[in-house]
Amino acid sequence: MEFSAILGAWVATFLTIGIFSYLYKDNPFYKVAEHLFVGVSAGYLLSLGFWTQLQPNLFGRLFPAKHYDPDTITYTIYNVLSFFSSTIFPEGGIDKGHDQHLTYLIPLVLGVMMLLSLIPRLSWMARWGIAYVVGMAAGLKAYGYLNSNVLGQIKGTAVNLFDFNLPIFSLSSPSIFNNLIIFVGTICGLLYFYFSKEHKGLLGKASKIGIYFLMISFGASFGFAVMGRISLLIGRFTDLIKFSGSDYSYATFWVLLIIVSALGYAAYQEKDADTLASTDNVDSSTK
Amino acid sequence: MSRLNKIEDIFLKIGSVDRRWIFIIIAIVVIVPILVPIGLPIRATDTSKKVYDAIEALPKGSNVLLSIEYSPSTKPENHPMTISIMRHLFRNNQKVYITCLWPDGQFMAQDALKQVAEGEFNKIYGEDYVLLGYRPGGEAVVKGIVSNIRKLFSVDARQTKVDDIPMMDGITNFKDFDFLFSASAGYPGTIEWVQYAADPTGVPMSSGVTSIQVNEVMPYVQSGQMVGVLAGMPGAAEYESLINQKGSATSGMDAQSVAHLVIVLFIVLGNISFFIERKRSKKY
Repeated sequence: MEFSAILGAWVATFLTIGIFSYLYKDNPFYKVAEHLFVGVSAGYLLSLGFWTQLQPNLFGRLFPAKHYDPDTITYTIYNVLSFFSSTIFPEGGIDKGHDQHLTYLIPLVLGVMMLLSLIPRLSWMARWGIAYVVGMAAGLKAYGYLNSNVLGQIKGTAVNLFDFNLPIFSLSSPSIFNNLIIFVGTICGLLYFYFSKEHKGLLGKASKIGIYFLMISFGASFGFAVMGRISLLIGRFTDLIKFSGSDYSYATFWVLLIIVSALGYAAYQEKDADTLASTDNVDSSTK
Repeated sequence: MSRLNKIEDIFLKIGSVDRRWIFIIIAIVVIVPILVPIGLPIRATDTSKKVYDAIEALPKGSNVLLSIEYSPSTKPENHPMTISIMRHLFRNNQKVYITCLWPDGQFMAQDALKQVAEGEFNKIYGEDYVLLGYRPGGEAVVKGIVSNIRKLFSVDARQTKVDDIPMMDGITNFKDFDFLFSASAGYPGTIEWVQYAADPTGVPMSSGVTSIQVNEVMPYVQSGQMVGVLAGMPGAAEYESLINQKGSATSGMDAQSVAHLVIVLFIVLGNISFFIERKRSKKY
């Protein structure tokens, strides 16, 4: 087996057991794993965002290789940028199959304005960029949500209660009983959120039925959440079992031994220090 | 002290046990079935069968968009689904186009392709499958794929121009695909595909989601906006049994079932302890 694969297994084992060690109590192994995760994730996302979006789709459209002409102002600026970083701005323009679109200067300016939030005097400029993003996202969301979550779901719950072609009862496929459940559950669930009238009498009873439907839904959510967490635990244990073999130089056993010994030693020292402190307290109070 | 009181005391002791003992018990009940499989039966649910039937019904050579929206953190749930779906698609000689809404998705896709497309089916890149890769932007990317995929993906994950990829001929927008499968672990993912792609265009879609998402996604399945769903690790195991090729999800299901039984037992014991404590506090 390659050395890199073995090293990777040792790192993965250390990070997994380091994170699990938090179940015992907060400790330096957990902190190392946690900080490493946050740092690496942030760096990875930044790098990926730059090389998959900014460089090919923004710079690639502003300075495409297709239209490269060193006599134009655009490419004179490009060549200056290229002098500083030929990796981001390779010689002869960026070849990502785009045509030149100078309208992409607008997102570039808005992006730079967002970064200005780091300079207190110019931080107000960041609002323009944020306003664009918020406005665009709201507009985009409004249609999708209305179409799929409102209209689509209304259509889905508008069931025929008296469709006698359906069986009376079925566990999961459409049936008269299931349609009745959908109808009663939807109406009562919605009535629970109707606050313009006090929940008394018929409305009170209906909203109470609505609560039961909501509780069943929350229960199902909890059950699925537990199932998800156990699945992830299975995944980690499967890897730890795999890394405990001779192919990986018994990574799991060694890492487990080191972490458990270190935590055990720290607990012993802590206990010793506590005993000493309590003895000192007793001595000083006797004196 | 009466016998009932003694029993109640035992329950109270169980109720106040250090939580670290519970962690150890859960670890044991998960590890043991992985090492010593019980082989509990797996029966496919209707929602999983619908996904299988929808893919099985696609004519040979259909264009299938497979979107990977998960990271290593949910690999045990999502990855077996992706592998099984890929096996099914390649077995039926479909053309597979892969996009990723999550940055790590690209590596998950590469891993699955190496195992299935290259290792098991000897499929040719660019003719049988293509990895278009990751683009940041969430729903904006979905909208981009719906309107003009070539504008968004001018190059694939290998930096090859899409114009030079044979299987990209005739593919300009989402309507050129016959089916979409989204392997999703959250936002952006399945819901965004329903809202911005499947619903507005009418292209059928299905999804494999993490357990935690099932309740969120199920209304779309019930209303017919999605064709079935693979729900968490059990969904993946069911699909493995449907395509007759067992994998990591099937082997994880024993541990899953035993762990659930133990958790239910803990909940029952915890509740008994709670009610005894409440009864005693009322008494005194």
